[in-house]
Amino acid sequence: MYKGLLIDKGIIGSDPHFSDSCSLCHKGNEKAQDRKVAHKGMIKRPSDNLQICAPCHEDIAKTYKNALHYTTAGQRHGVMARFSQEELKTFDAKVFEKSCRSCHASCGDCHVKGPVISGISTGLLKGHRFVKRDEGKTCALCHGGRVYPEFTGEYGGTPDVHYQKGMVCMDCHKKAEFHGDGNLYVSRHERKNKPACINCHPAGQEKSEKAKSAHTTHTDKMSCASCHASGQYRNCYDCHAGKGATSKPGFILGLNPRDKKTITTLRVVPTVRDTFLSAGIKMDNFDVLPNYWDTVPHNIKKRTERTRSCDVCHVDKEGFLTKEQLIKGGAKANEGLIYTPKQIKN
Amino acid sequence: MKMRRLKWFCLLVILTITLPCAAFARDIAPVVSRDWLEKNLNDPKLIAVDIRKVEEYREGNIPNSINVFYGSWAVKKKGLDNELPEDDDLFDVIGSAGIKAGSHVVVVGKTDTVADLVNMTRVAWTLIYGGVENVAVLDGGFNKWKDDKKTIYKEVVKPKALEYKGKVNKAIFATKEYVLSKIGKAAIVDTRMPDFYFGVSKLDIVEKPGHVKGAVSLPSPWIFAKDGTFKNKEELGAMAAGVLGKDTSKETIANCDTGRLCSGWWFVLREILGYQDVKAYDGSMQEYAKDPNAPLVKYSWQ
Repeated sequence: MYKGLLIDKGIIGSDPHFSDSCSLCHKGNEKAQDRKVAHKGMIKRPSDNLQICAPCHEDIAKTYKNALHYTTAGQRHGVMARFSQEELKTFDAKVFEKSCRSCHASCGDCHVKGPVISGISTGLLKGHRFVKRDEGKTCALCHGGRVYPEFTGEYGGTPDVHYQKGMVCMDCHKKAEFHGDGNLYVSRHERKNKPACINCHPAGQEKSEKAKSAHTTHTDKMSCASCHASGQYRNCYDCHAGKGATSKPGFILGLNPRDKKTITTLRVVPTVRDTFLSAGIKMDNFDVLPNYWDTVPHNIKKRTERTRSCDVCHVDKEGFLTKEQLIKGGAKANEGLIYTPKQIKN
Repeated sequence: MKMRRLKWFCLLVILTITLPCAAFARDIAPVVSRDWLEKNLNDPKLIAVDIRKVEEYREGNIPNSINVFYGSWAVKKKGLDNELPEDDDLFDVIGSAGIKAGSHVVVVGKTDTVADLVNMTRVAWTLIYGGVENVAVLDGGFNKWKDDKKTIYKEVVKPKALEYKGKVNKAIFATKEYVLSKIGKAAIVDTRMPDFYFGVSKLDIVEKPGHVKGAVSLPSPWIFAKDGTFKNKEELGAMAAGVLGKDTSKETIANCDTGRLCSGWWFVLREILGYQDVKAYDGSMQEYAKDPNAPLVKYSWQ
């Protein structure tokens, strides 16, 4: 028997969520004696319908219906500029609703049972208890390709300094990022009040003169991660609808496609020219968007090769994207991200 | 006059015998029991360092223990896994855990797998390298603590961070160049399972199968009983003596694939059995087998 689905009977009397009956959320026929009859019409993920939780958690249900974790609008926004108007219609009908949207998180995916990834779930978080937060069993699964394993060091080999100090997702990412604030955003980049390094590490509090001077020199020119990402992170390549992508570690520096005045860490996104070909989408405007996007690798360290020596960037130019390194068949926009650091004048 | 000379001679003999031991004198045993830890949890000098993942620590931990995840103590460097952090980074980790050079540290980990078991000895090695001598491992780790139904907290204890500037102990650390210079001179112990030593198996991260020329086989998984506790000192001593001989003063270098597994026998030899000059080769076969000039032996028990 799949143990992950067993309910801890001890909680039934103690948790108000069970004060009525299982069928209040899961439907089915609780009076039936036959298993098949009892499970007829059963809903596996009841909180997919936010109205199930809304009677008690009205405010959250109201904002969550617009939240990016529920709408998954960010996935659509990330590629839509590559489509013609006609192609966007096809994408919305054939790809977004059937594929991208299927990844949205219901309330239960974060509070009751680990989300299903590639058909696999790790099961109930705690015997069907309603759990406030359990990042290692919830966030870690959907963000288990990039971000979470980089954060814990399982990918890349060096954990993020914040993880080393005992912090997990919600110590930086606050409730509103999950439950939403009521506004309908198309991308997480539109959101205000995102976590930022300077919220906890304001400029001017550096302990050493070297750090102070390095920060002053590079302010507004480089993202914090450019110097403080400890090393390689996952880059995904060659995604094809229905088949998935391949990945390999890499560390890439270049101009931020959202703000070409700053240098930042870039991550390869796996969309290639024929990603949606099986859905009949050729991507007429493929070249408009780059294949490299700004990223904050969650493998931050106080000291890295780049903080230890100016030469790593200014002489060796390590990690900086070059024309030769650009992915083959990539978008023309990629070339606009190349930056060659200057030698330091003595 | 004769009596006085004899007195001085006896004193000299005693000092000669005991001084090397004094160098490794410990205030706490290298392996501590759950009962001992329970009794000493409120000792202001004692710091129990839980090296399990943050999520596991938050789920339940030993009262007063702090969490410094294993990955803080062993990092990836230049393509090699489980490397020592740079000295200043290591001092930051030790300091942020509130550990002083004179602290008594008990390393608490999991015992689910062999890797989990040697994570504890590897952290102990790293702390001792960083200049903290009194480091112990909790016998049976958190698993046995839980099995014994000892108190488990869910509170997260925030350590009192301090500035730590220790003196690194290079005498317990070996580089590839050092290992090469000691072939035929020091005892080299391969602590992987025999099929890895013999060369019929290898990890993907290791370029070629086989062992360092002249190395002897003494697998680290054999240190532990099935329940994740250490085998008794007599048995461990007999295993070591059977392979390395009884001369505890001979220089010994332990290696494995990435420098993690070998910390098991490093810990047993130096900290439990009192071997006086034991080093661990941090880069181990992941580094060694990449070097085309490093002598590697396959399909031989010698």
